[in-house]
Amino acid sequence: MPIEFKKNRVIFRDVARVEEAESLLEALQKKPVAKVDLAACTHLHTANLQVLMAARPCIDSWPRDLDLRTWLETVLMPAS
Amino acid sequence: MNTLPKNPLLEQFLSEARELLEGIGQKLMQLEEAPSDRGLINELFRMVHTLKGNSGLFTFPEMTRVLHAGEDLLGKVRNGEMAFSRELADRLLDAMDFVGLLSNDIESTEFIDASRGKDSARLSDSLRALIAGVSASSVSAGSPLVATEFTAGVLTKLPPLAEIPEALRMEAFRRSGEGEKFHWIAYRPVPECFFQGDDPFHRARQTPGLLWGRVLPAEPLPPLADLDTYRCSLNFHLFTAAFHEELVEYFRYVPDQVEMVAIDPLWLSLSERKSEDICNPSAEMQGSVEECSPEAIEKAAALARILAAQQQILALDDHPGWFSGRIKAVATVLKNLANSVGNSEADGQIEASLAKALAFSNGLPMLEWLNAHRSQFTAIIVRQSTSGGSRGNAEEESSASDPAKPAADDGIKLGRRAEDNQIGPRSLKVDQAKVDRLMNLIGELIVEKNALPYLAQRAEAQYGVRELSREIKGQYSVINRIADEMQDAIMQVRMMAVSIVFQRFPRLVRDTSRKLGKDVQLMLEGEQTEADKNIIEALADPLIHIVRNSLDHGLESPDVRRAHGKPETGTLTIRASQQADSVIIEIVDDGKGIDPAVIKRKAYEKRLIDEAALERMSDREAVNLIFAAGLSTAAVVSDLSGRGVGMDVVRTAVEKLNGSVVVESEVGKGTSIRISLPLSMAVTQVMIIESDGQLFGVPMDHVFETVRIPRRSIHRIKQSMTAVLRGRVVPLKVLNSLLGIPAQPKANADDELSVLLVQAGGGVLGLLVDGFRETLGVIQKPMAGFLSSLSVWSGSALMGDGSVLMILNIREIV
Repeated sequence: MPIEFKKNRVIFRDVARVEEAESLLEALQKKPVAKVDLAACTHLHTANLQVLMAARPCIDSWPRDLDLRTWLETVLMPAS
Repeated sequence: MNTLPKNPLLEQFLSEARELLEGIGQKLMQLEEAPSDRGLINELFRMVHTLKGNSGLFTFPEMTRVLHAGEDLLGKVRNGEMAFSRELADRLLDAMDFVGLLSNDIESTEFIDASRGKDSARLSDSLRALIAGVSASSVSAGSPLVATEFTAGVLTKLPPLAEIPEALRMEAFRRSGEGEKFHWIAYRPVPECFFQGDDPFHRARQTPGLLWGRVLPAEPLPPLADLDTYRCSLNFHLFTAAFHEELVEYFRYVPDQVEMVAIDPLWLSLSERKSEDICNPSAEMQGSVEECSPEAIEKAAALARILAAQQQILALDDHPGWFSGRIKAVATVLKNLANSVGNSEADGQIEASLAKALAFSNGLPMLEWLNAHRSQFTAIIVRQSTSGGSRGNAEEESSASDPAKPAADDGIKLGRRAEDNQIGPRSLKVDQAKVDRLMNLIGELIVEKNALPYLAQRAEAQYGVRELSREIKGQYSVINRIADEMQDAIMQVRMMAVSIVFQRFPRLVRDTSRKLGKDVQLMLEGEQTEADKNIIEALADPLIHIVRNSLDHGLESPDVRRAHGKPETGTLTIRASQQADSVIIEIVDDGKGIDPAVIKRKAYEKRLIDEAALERMSDREAVNLIFAAGLSTAAVVSDLSGRGVGMDVVRTAVEKLNGSVVVESEVGKGTSIRISLPLSMAVTQVMIIESDGQLFGVPMDHVFETVRIPRRSIHRIKQSMTAVLRGRVVPLKVLNSLLGIPAQPKANADDELSVLLVQAGGGVLGLLVDGFRETLGVIQKPMAGFLSSLSVWSGSALMGDGSVLMILNIREIV
């Protein structure tokens, strides 16, 4: 599974597919405090992206993929 | 971009597409019979949906577009928002034909010619027109609200370039000075795009020449609990250095979801001076960039440029001697600008701020005024262009039909889920060449196996080891059994049900009968009958020919039928069955039948038969004359108003498959055409004959009888030899002389000659040979290379002892 759900962490790996959006949504609903680890993520399907944007979880580590990081930072960075 | 390497995926797609297309055609036809059958509609929808999804794997937007329209249309039907109609079926069938055409294109050239685009657009429009017809009437009641909402949205604005980070913008400006072009793209994926296998974020990220992009929610995202993960609610703003054509190509699947604005370098320059909000006329800009009319953009840009220049001038804090003149000039420019946009109140305010500025000898008061009122200028321009322009109507219409879409969604979602759970397919798709190879190998094995009895014989006769000989024979019988089973198994693999061919008849009959104004019911029987793939495939064309003939000439129009006391609806039955080693296919109609007298007369006129034959011929034989080559001319057909169009073509095709075709007909009652074909072409039964010490094979299909005739019963009539057999005169020929062998046929001890009676060219002929041997199942190999031009041989086969058996082509040598 490209998205792994641990106790208080959601870890993305490689490419998160559309099928995973639902479980991601469920997980974030259950544990809004869960931290998201995107380090190993190279792409996530729009469906996952919009879940993250709606949930605004705390991003623990940003993607190592610089391009993806740039995209995500603009929308997922906590409002300062 | 269009070309693809021929890959296995593409090939599989094509073969599946064909299957699906056939299935779709079939379902459509069934639906015409039972328009309210939910199961059929669901299945049809699923097929179109699958096909569309598959086509989306490749770059065939022309195909996908049409299928998409068809899918949407069927979605409506499925949800009960539309009734299934003949018109709908016609259009869908047209569309599917077009898709079939495209598949052929793809198969031969591996891409779709650009010229197809127009047809694709036309067909999808015609499908969409049906949807629109419905949604217009059904939505009209509650639409005013929707409509106003959308008009409000169609404000013409400049792209919000301010979103782009300054450094990047400056870099772009510098590059635009070097002649580079930039585009601003607002990409608004449709909410249901996930179901089409789309990942808008991915598409956005992969945009060619992408310099910058951002994601933004189409509308404020709902709380988590209400979020629908399967509806896309994100939009994208992209800034790219790619060429326009490149972008059009890239977004060609979603042209309706993308807005592209070529960026004027000026807009970049403006932003560069921190006056970005000049081109950001209103606060509601955070949303989407709506389409801007080019004039409005130009005007706004010009205005913004002038204003920016004034701001710069005012912001200068030097105090040259000409300061007051400069300030006054700015004031004049501003006044003129205000007048040009019809803002008459500005005059006084500008005068006042000018006075202040002059009093303080500082540009600040005016700058303040300008900063405060600047947005008014642009807003006015924007308003003017929207109220004046007629654009946006089309947009409005297409969006107006959108609200209906989400309803169709729920169903799709369920459908997709169900599909995901499907277990892997139970059948394999294998390239035919692989099966053919197996077939060849097993053929060789069978031949090799036949060498074992020879070996056993030699062991006994030559070396005198009986024991070994018996063991070899024992082994042989085991290998024999396995090899036979194996051959059987492989033949099974190659077997296909005739339904593959039958499938296309409902459509053919429907279209043709409608064109001819006849009422025809088609009955298909024995669709599960199986035969070798090659045979089934070769059967298609002759069958179509016969069916067309039946419809055209056999079955009468409804009023004629009524006059003859027959039911108005004619019946055409296509029946397949298996009899021993052959497949029998019968095409039976209850039409007017064929009049043997007319056929006879025509055949005589065409000099196909002589007077004697005319007298002698039975009605049955006469009717079968329709397969004679000369009878199939257009003139005959129109006079005859019976069959005759290319029936000789049918016969040739059937005979090529070692089959036969006969026709039976009763005037007024109907006609029945019976095609008999071998189950498999792989193994040919041949009879081995001997002539001048050589062995030859004669296909059993041609062998009529073997007899021995005493030399004295052979009569010579001029050059030809004949014999009377069971009261029939049979012409005789010597095989040796036909093959150019300078030897006389040998007689046996009783001075009898061996005569092989063969069926050729509609008659029976005796071939004088030296002797008969056993019959044998052989795998016939066609003659290759230089030998292939020798038409007297139909092929060769390997015998058990390793020798080559030449198979005679009886039709050619007699």
